[in-house]
Amino acid sequence: MGEFTSGFFMGDSSTNGRVLVVDDEPDVRKVVRMTLQKAGYDILEAENGEKAIETINAGENRLLLDILICDIRMPKINGVEAIAYFRANYPRVPVIVLTGFPDADMATSMLRQGVVDYLVKPVEGEKLRESVARAMEQRELAHL
Amino acid sequence: MQPLTDRTVVSKLASIKVAILGAGRGGTALLDLLHLIPSIEIVGISDRDPDAPGLVRAKHLRIPVTGRIEDLIYNHGVNLIMDVTGDPAVEQFVQDHKRPETEILSGSAARVLWELVRHESNLQAELFHAEKLAGIGSFAAGLAHDINNPLQLIMGLAENLAEEKDWNTVHEQAREIVEAVRRTSAICKDLTQYARKTSARDETVVCLNNRLDEALKIARYAVSFHDISVRKDYEEGAAARGSADEILHVLVNLITNAVQAMEQGGGKLTLTTERFSDGANVRISDTGCGMESEVLEQIFEPFFTTKEPGKGTGLGLYNVKTIVTKLRGKIDVESRVDHGTTFTISFPTASEGAT
Repeated sequence: MGEFTSGFFMGDSSTNGRVLVVDDEPDVRKVVRMTLQKAGYDILEAENGEKAIETINAGENRLLLDILICDIRMPKINGVEAIAYFRANYPRVPVIVLTGFPDADMATSMLRQGVVDYLVKPVEGEKLRESVARAMEQRELAHL
Repeated sequence: MQPLTDRTVVSKLASIKVAILGAGRGGTALLDLLHLIPSIEIVGISDRDPDAPGLVRAKHLRIPVTGRIEDLIYNHGVNLIMDVTGDPAVEQFVQDHKRPETEILSGSAARVLWELVRHESNLQAELFHAEKLAGIGSFAAGLAHDINNPLQLIMGLAENLAEEKDWNTVHEQAREIVEAVRRTSAICKDLTQYARKTSARDETVVCLNNRLDEALKIARYAVSFHDISVRKDYEEGAAARGSADEILHVLVNLITNAVQAMEQGGGKLTLTTERFSDGANVRISDTGCGMESEVLEQIFEPFFTTKEPGKGTGLGLYNVKTIVTKLRGKIDVESRVDHGTTFTISFPTASEGAT
């Protein structure tokens, strides 16, 4: 679906990768940004699923987006719908769920849809960075 | 002998005029139950203690009270004297002085009746509480969202503070943490207040506008308000007499239902209060899916639900109606499929000083 899958862009030396953080709560986006910028990631933000879909389809993001970090409970298009869209249209972008609601059924269903990790807030910075680093490895492996 | 038809039974029942002697716990329980029954008229209640709880309650219900049992015994209209004083002297006095056509319920018969009433009232309270707790289960997702988001902020900021070198940033983020903790603890306060066992006896004059605002806040934990606009059309001074907790419960229930009716495609929630010389109205109106007339006929029945199994107890509107009736109010509903539903509660007048 129009996804450019060369690893060429990942070779960009200025960043460890580009991450889209989708959460309706500005506070959460702010700390995720803080945490990941320290590890050298470039961060994009969206406040709901609708904005996330707009963001990835804008400009060169579709080429450069490496990882999606997505909340579940959000207005407009919620996380479940947004993730389904990303899995269908950008299957090579790993998705990490970061949610406030520890729900085993939801976690199972998300992992079945190919989500690489299901993290429950509050998540420690170290754990989040590890999860993103693992997802980056998968992303690169997928491009080989 | 002529068989009793339903009609004669009703007209016989319609004429029952009851006097209650004793306004302690027994008398109060009887009062609470009997005043809800249309075919029974309570002509008065008496107790020697002017502060007896039943006398206070009777005044709220506008039932005549007296300190002299003679006033009730000699009353021409009384068909039945219910003596729950448990006092043998009173029992004897009533036997000696009552009008010949008046019947008496006293002694162990009155005690059995009181036990039944108390049992019924406990069941009602348990049912009410069970439904409230079941409802709070649906708060879990909203609650987790509203608590774990600030916790994520606190975690991220605290981790940053451990290595932050710029003092201005340290101060600013420390303040943000304190603010986030305050917000989070406010959520727990709201909900634990709502979840506690209601005391129906805490009757006050209740400001309907404040309770609607509070109910709106609580309902946001239970249901998602996305794509739903809220319009408030409040008249100042709209008030009702009753337990603030119970009225809040009624409003949370109706607002939650209204929002759920608009789950598909959003809509507008309108909250209206009106004040009249003889009472006040609350109207909760949605532009949601509406109800068919056969559903509408059953909504106040216990255990009736249109929700999926496990999603509704079927006791929500039943409890709403029970509470409204107890407060001598009336609840009306209008609904049109695909257009929306409006619930209107009319409360009788309450004196000034609403909280």
